[in-house]
Amino acid sequence: MSQRLPETTSRTGLLVGLALGVPVVAYGLRGTVVDADDTHPAELARWVVGLAVINDLLVIPAAILVAWSLRRVVPTTVWPPVRAGLLCSAVLTAVAVPLIAGLGNDPHNPSLFPRNYATGLTAALTVVWVAVVALAAALRRRVRQQRPSG
Amino acid sequence: MSPGYESSLHETRTAAWLGMALGVTFGLCFFTGVWSHLAQDPPSWFEYPARPAGLYRITQGVHVASGFAAIPLLLAKLWVVHPRFVEWPPARSVLHAVERLALLPLVGGSLFQLFSGTANVARWYPWSFFFPRAHFWVAWVTIGVLVVHVGAKSVATRDALRRAPRDPASVTASPQERRAFLGGVAAASIGLVTATVGGTFAVLSPLSVLAQRRPGVGPQGLPVNKTAAGARVTETAVDPGYRLEVVGRIATPLRLSLADLRDLPQHDAELPIACVEGWSTSARWRGVRARDLLALAGVEGDDTEVLVESLQPTGRYRASTLNPDQATDHDTLFALELNGEPLHIDHGFPVRLVGPNRPGVLQTKWVSRVTVR
Repeated sequence: MSQRLPETTSRTGLLVGLALGVPVVAYGLRGTVVDADDTHPAELARWVVGLAVINDLLVIPAAILVAWSLRRVVPTTVWPPVRAGLLCSAVLTAVAVPLIAGLGNDPHNPSLFPRNYATGLTAALTVVWVAVVALAAALRRRVRQQRPSG
Repeated sequence: MSPGYESSLHETRTAAWLGMALGVTFGLCFFTGVWSHLAQDPPSWFEYPARPAGLYRITQGVHVASGFAAIPLLLAKLWVVHPRFVEWPPARSVLHAVERLALLPLVGGSLFQLFSGTANVARWYPWSFFFPRAHFWVAWVTIGVLVVHVGAKSVATRDALRRAPRDPASVTASPQERRAFLGGVAAASIGLVTATVGGTFAVLSPLSVLAQRRPGVGPQGLPVNKTAAGARVTETAVDPGYRLEVVGRIATPLRLSLADLRDLPQHDAELPIACVEGWSTSARWRGVRARDLLALAGVEGDDTEVLVESLQPTGRYRASTLNPDQATDHDTLFALELNGEPLHIDHGFPVRLVGPNRPGVLQTKWVSRVTVR
């Protein structure tokens, strides 16, 4: 790291936070252990740690890689709406996948998941990218107008 | 700056704004979640109130909506602070090491809460533990570690949000860059909530293309959570020999047929079914008031607790409890009709419990026994 990150940890604040927060953590851990028949602590701990590891080592680096590659082809002016469109698409898709795959379907219950979620996701993504294109066009127009004509 | 971290948005001020927004959404999730557990598993010192009737559908709707809203906020926050993840040396002091170690349960716990909540709404359970209990206890751990984190970052957050921070290094992005980025994150939050909230906020239902339910879709215009087939009551619920038993600490034990129940004074109530998964729909119910039934059984006074059991042979939610406030409420019904028709079997035919301000899982269906305690 060529540049040192600013110091953001307050010693006093951390000590106060520990005094207030540790009892709350202890209460949660105690409950997890007392209810071990329901909470399956070992498996639960694997989920909590696993999701942190997947996020820090895969999800965020993948997002950085996608952004880094796209920034070479997308003009700087229109990058903010494109980035927002990518984030919207990612979260909408992530939420839609279990619905589209029908991972929780119950054949007895027609009132559950009453929509076509593939169509729904397609519609949502269309709205997102139409908005991105419209915003990008507006931004480019503004930049052209600001440029002195010669 | 290391490759990949060139963006000027990896700054304390942007992290501070996202942190504040996360504090609000996580706070809402935590308090509404604890409220929901108080409704379902009340400790001895707490009497969950029967009123206002529509409170639970609001608290639980807010719970699920703020959880969805937090997803883009959390991902954005974790991207903004990611350079710190690869910081070297990993710790500058013992306290700094403590602060960084606390990030593992904070990040893991936050991701787990949002992932498991979203999966629960999708009815997808890729684990063996019991979701509500795990989600509840991890919430306490996560909120506890969040308190530690907020304490540690309180001074830097306040400073970074000042017009002229004492530490100039905490602001590296231009206001335009920051606004464009945070605007995009806000758009993702609003979009995701809009896409999911229509199951309870019916006005937005046409836009909620990813909602688990649709108000008005279901037998008799009401969505169903547990079906008769799922509860294995398809035969017992329609058995002509069905009787509702009223037993326990009472003067006159009762055994009432469906015809007996129809002969009792009927009462109407407009009450929502509000599911813990965030959907809710209001409906018109008609049936026998719980307090009338208890009076018929010779129950006197209003300090009675009532256990309501279902024909459903097994399952965690086959029975529920009415506390004295709920048992005596004028809208707590043993309902026989829904929206003007006899209950559909999936809505609890012949008799279901329905009361104000109760989570859907406690609106016990296919009621077979009422025990006064």
